Amino acid sequence: MTGAALADTREGTPDTAPQPPEAPGSPPGLGDLLAPVRGRLIAAVVAQAAAAVCSTIPFIAVAELARALLASGGPDEGRAWAAAWTAVAALVARLVLYATAGVLTHLADADLQLGLRRRIARHLGRLPLGWFTENSSGEVKKAAGDNISTLHHLVAHTALEVTAAIVVPLTALVYLFTVDWRLALVALLPLLLGGHFFTRAMSGGEEVTAKFFGAMGGVNAAVVELVQGIAVIKAYGRTSRAHRAYDDAADSFSVFFRDWIMSTTRASTSAALALSGPAALLVATVAGTLFVTRGWTDAVDLVPFVLLGPALTGSVMGLAQSGHAVQGGLQSAREIHALLAAPTLPEASEPTAPAPDGRVEMTGVGFSYDGTTDVLSGIDLTLRPGTVTALVGASGSGKSTLARLVPRFWDPSAGTVRIGGTDVRDIAPNDLYRQVSFVFQEPHLLRTTVRDNIRLGRPDADDTAVERAARAAHIHERITALPRGYASVIGEDARLSGGESQRLSVARALLADAPVLVLDEATSFADPESEAAVQEALSALAAGRTLLVIAHRLATVRDADHIVVLDGGRIAEQGTHDRLVALDGRYARLWALQQKGAAR
Amino acid sequence: MTALLTRVLGREQTRGLRRVLLWAAVAAALQGVAYALLVPLLTRLLGDDPEAAWPWVAALAAATAGYGIVAFGAAVRGNRFSADLGRTLHHRIGDHVVALPLGWFGGERTGALGQVAGQGVVQVMNAAANLLRPLCVAFVTPAVVVLATFVFDWRLALAMLVAAPVAAAAYRWSGRLMSRVDRQSHAAAVETADRLVEFARHQPALRAFGRTAEDHELLDAALREQRAEARAATRLGVPGVAGFALAVQLCFTCVLLLGTVLAVNGSIAAGELIAVLVLAVRFVEPMGAAAELGGSLRVARGTLERLDEVLATDPLPQPQNAAPLPREYGVELDGVRFDYGDGRTVLDGVDLRVPAGRTVALVGPSGSGKTTVTRLLARFWDVSAGTVRVGGTDVRDLTTDQLMARLAMVFQDVYLFAGTIEENIRAGREDATDEEVREAGRLARVDEIAERLPDGWAARVGEGGTALSGGERQRISLARALLKQAPIVLLDEATSALDAENEAAVQQAVSALTADRTVLVVAHRLDTIREADLIAFLEGGRIVEQGTHEELMALAGRYAAFWAERERASGWRLAARP
Repeated sequence: MTGAALADTREGTPDTAPQPPEAPGSPPGLGDLLAPVRGRLIAAVVAQAAAAVCSTIPFIAVAELARALLASGGPDEGRAWAAAWTAVAALVARLVLYATAGVLTHLADADLQLGLRRRIARHLGRLPLGWFTENSSGEVKKAAGDNISTLHHLVAHTALEVTAAIVVPLTALVYLFTVDWRLALVALLPLLLGGHFFTRAMSGGEEVTAKFFGAMGGVNAAVVELVQGIAVIKAYGRTSRAHRAYDDAADSFSVFFRDWIMSTTRASTSAALALSGPAALLVATVAGTLFVTRGWTDAVDLVPFVLLGPALTGSVMGLAQSGHAVQGGLQSAREIHALLAAPTLPEASEPTAPAPDGRVEMTGVGFSYDGTTDVLSGIDLTLRPGTVTALVGASGSGKSTLARLVPRFWDPSAGTVRIGGTDVRDIAPNDLYRQVSFVFQEPHLLRTTVRDNIRLGRPDADDTAVERAARAAHIHERITALPRGYASVIGEDARLSGGESQRLSVARALLADAPVLVLDEATSFADPESEAAVQEALSALAAGRTLLVIAHRLATVRDADHIVVLDGGRIAEQGTHDRLVALDGRYARLWALQQKGAAR
Repeated sequence: MTALLTRVLGREQTRGLRRVLLWAAVAAALQGVAYALLVPLLTRLLGDDPEAAWPWVAALAAATAGYGIVAFGAAVRGNRFSADLGRTLHHRIGDHVVALPLGWFGGERTGALGQVAGQGVVQVMNAAANLLRPLCVAFVTPAVVVLATFVFDWRLALAMLVAAPVAAAAYRWSGRLMSRVDRQSHAAAVETADRLVEFARHQPALRAFGRTAEDHELLDAALREQRAEARAATRLGVPGVAGFALAVQLCFTCVLLLGTVLAVNGSIAAGELIAVLVLAVRFVEPMGAAAELGGSLRVARGTLERLDEVLATDPLPQPQNAAPLPREYGVELDGVRFDYGDGRTVLDGVDLRVPAGRTVALVGPSGSGKTTVTRLLARFWDVSAGTVRVGGTDVRDLTTDQLMARLAMVFQDVYLFAGTIEENIRAGREDATDEEVREAGRLARVDEIAERLPDGWAARVGEGGTALSGGERQRISLARALLKQAPIVLLDEATSALDAENEAAVQQAVSALTADRTVLVVAHRLDTIREADLIAFLEGGRIVEQGTHEELMALAGRYAAFWAERERASGWRLAARP
């Protein structure tokens, strides 16, 4: 009667006090993750233990009732009723305690989840952007979703189940020993037998689990290939082949599963049978009848054994399952720890305010993602206020990395990046964002209102300011045509084309109005039909700022004050368009290549 | 539930399920019999002649042995069934998925399908192996126990049953509450997960605009809402669970109190009362377990419903008798209408002919239906009205293999298989010689990519493979298409700009691919458009203008305006000083 079905909620927890940063090398464990709710968990476990004790009292009361009714001097009515009402009272108390324990753990869990998710989010916000790759969405989802849900099960359910599964048999055993220690010993026989079989069923568990996940992974990979690649699979007449590969993976999983489950069926079923109710009763009655007929014990003393015998063994199977849950919880805790232990960008202890002139200087800048291969090295570059600097070069030449060092998406491994004369590492994050704005190739629109998307960088901006930015970015009219205008929600009633989304992100940058602006391939268009409109929006944005542009189409940056050609992470050439063409080097070659392409 | 099971499992496995259930039910009944034998046994023991208990001990031993044997059989059968079930479900999903129209596979569906075929199937297998037997015990054993009690003392049996309807009602009520709680919690969890992923994915923008976790209200609101939902779920859930537990307790309490009254009055033998009370405990216990099973059952049911949803999608109809192979390779759309079945008309009467060996460029604003035209030719979906013909034959009269053999498709989203560069090119035509594979690679300048990589042509791409740039992936997919040597080419030109070198390589490959072929191209590059034999300008799902570049320019209509705008855009230069 555990009713473990208490709402399978997956929610969050508050934490008012700021968490200390994750101490590097702290042993991954559940303890510190659960620390904020430890008090309530202990209270819940105590309540549950009391409930477990209460749950054995009715059985003891029935035994008392038997003694009262079968008393040698005839039934003792008063004692009988006392026993009956004791049973009823214990049942009620058990229910109340049990509900209390459940409520406590669930509320604690709700708080714990909120706290952990907030902690994870805060940590994510401080990681270097290099951490966020294509896989990181899955990782975040796993840590903040699945792993915390696993903890939910552990905190809200398993802790209580384990408590009951331990306290009930212990209470029963203690009582039974006081009644007749010999019979109590006999009653333990099924437990030994069950334990023996159980150990056998579980042997080689880790190896088998690894194999299970291996086989499962095979099926999943085959599914992914079949589903993701279906268009290509069909287009190249590989349907039967891919289908067969999938079927083979499914079959080998099935064969593995069957072999595995059948090989353990004998032992696990034997364990379950040894621990089952009928087995416990059979042992108790065989021994009991023997004892009674030999006159070794009173018949009435057998009653508690028949009542409580099954309780001794019944919870063991459940304990095994709880063991899995605990292991899962520990694994989840380890993964959450791993995420929280990823090193963050250090924050300046005594931040310095940069001069507001928008000058960007890079001196001797080098960068490496992995510490061995240099993506950038020896970059010396100054972006003068009010000028356009263009970064050009092949894919992988380091353009994007270089541009991302300006807003400190990560720190250089060598050299310094200064804005307004101050090292970006010494600028407080909020000051830095006021200095540098960034327009990405991907518009990065959030699922919220158009208005809030535009004022992402200036949440206090009023409607007039928002509208002014939207007009300048040539997107105002499109917005007013949306069902709810500026209150339309992106992805819900505001479905924008690529070019429109781009203009919205330009409006966002216009409103943020930072002196330094980085355009990351923003001149390559998701939506050629609105190219001209995006361009006009960009021109409006560029006016009067320090501009750093990454461009694939060289023609768009022909007029730049300064063109920097990157090759293998170094500055290969720099100068104006005319000078670079005259130089007849790498830039001239790229230029010729594109001119030829355009002329074809 | 039964209908759902039959649909998802198929007829054969449904029969298997019934067999397993039967074994489990017999085992549960024998368990009930073993419990019932306690009454005569205990009555004898507590009576004057304890020796008379021995035959009943023997009977209990026999019942327990019978229970053990049948339960063992049920476990073996249940486990075997579970393994077979996994295989059947995987196969059913696979068979169905390959027959679905290509258009069915979208971003969300792909993820959901992966989830169903992976986790989902395992969940159903687990339910079959671990849920069916306890479920039988929860219902059959108490039923047998109560029947037996009628044999011993009908008054106490009635007392047991008095509370049973209350328990049943409480069970249903608590089940409904839980479903509601599950739904709400699930919705809140999905929202939180979305917001978290959004927060991670848009970190660059959020940081560039100074939004930290503390300042990001959208995320924090979702997290707070999830907690509120969890608290509400607890408030809702506790009465349900406690209510059911109370009802179950009530059963026992009734028997206990009535029994005490009867015993004190002397209208039942003390020994018999005690025996029946022991039995009542065995009646109540499995019912309590039923509450725990409820949650697992709901999960299994949800999974079955998702499986059912996939299996219920109509497959792409295949022709009864394949039409004779078309001998020429023109393509044609005749009065084609298309909508996604939700009232959004995408194409609204399109007539278009691409004669064999010619190139037709589709241009028009985004959302005008250009890509849909190419996808209807490849039969991603079937038209809502009108006909799509390849070589004069309706595509619906061709098998998927026949149709696909004639088409080379190059779309913007490039999919590479997990495998080497060479294997990915060879996928274009399995029986191609090594020379042909290398030649196709050379034409798309994949040889340059292979030279750069340590493993050369054997470098692994795709999931977990070498990181290739978008342009390089395009080149490999173009080499694959080149190798296929299909007479008809469907091309969706990339909109995003590539760096100069990739751009040149891609253009070279496209030229090789389209030479002397029938080409339908969703065109963005001005050269591609100008050089097409025919340009079709789409707007709002219709072809509004059609002709050569010169004809359309002379028309001075939509196309001419579009062209002027594009020309203006292509001359644009960025400068800080306007």
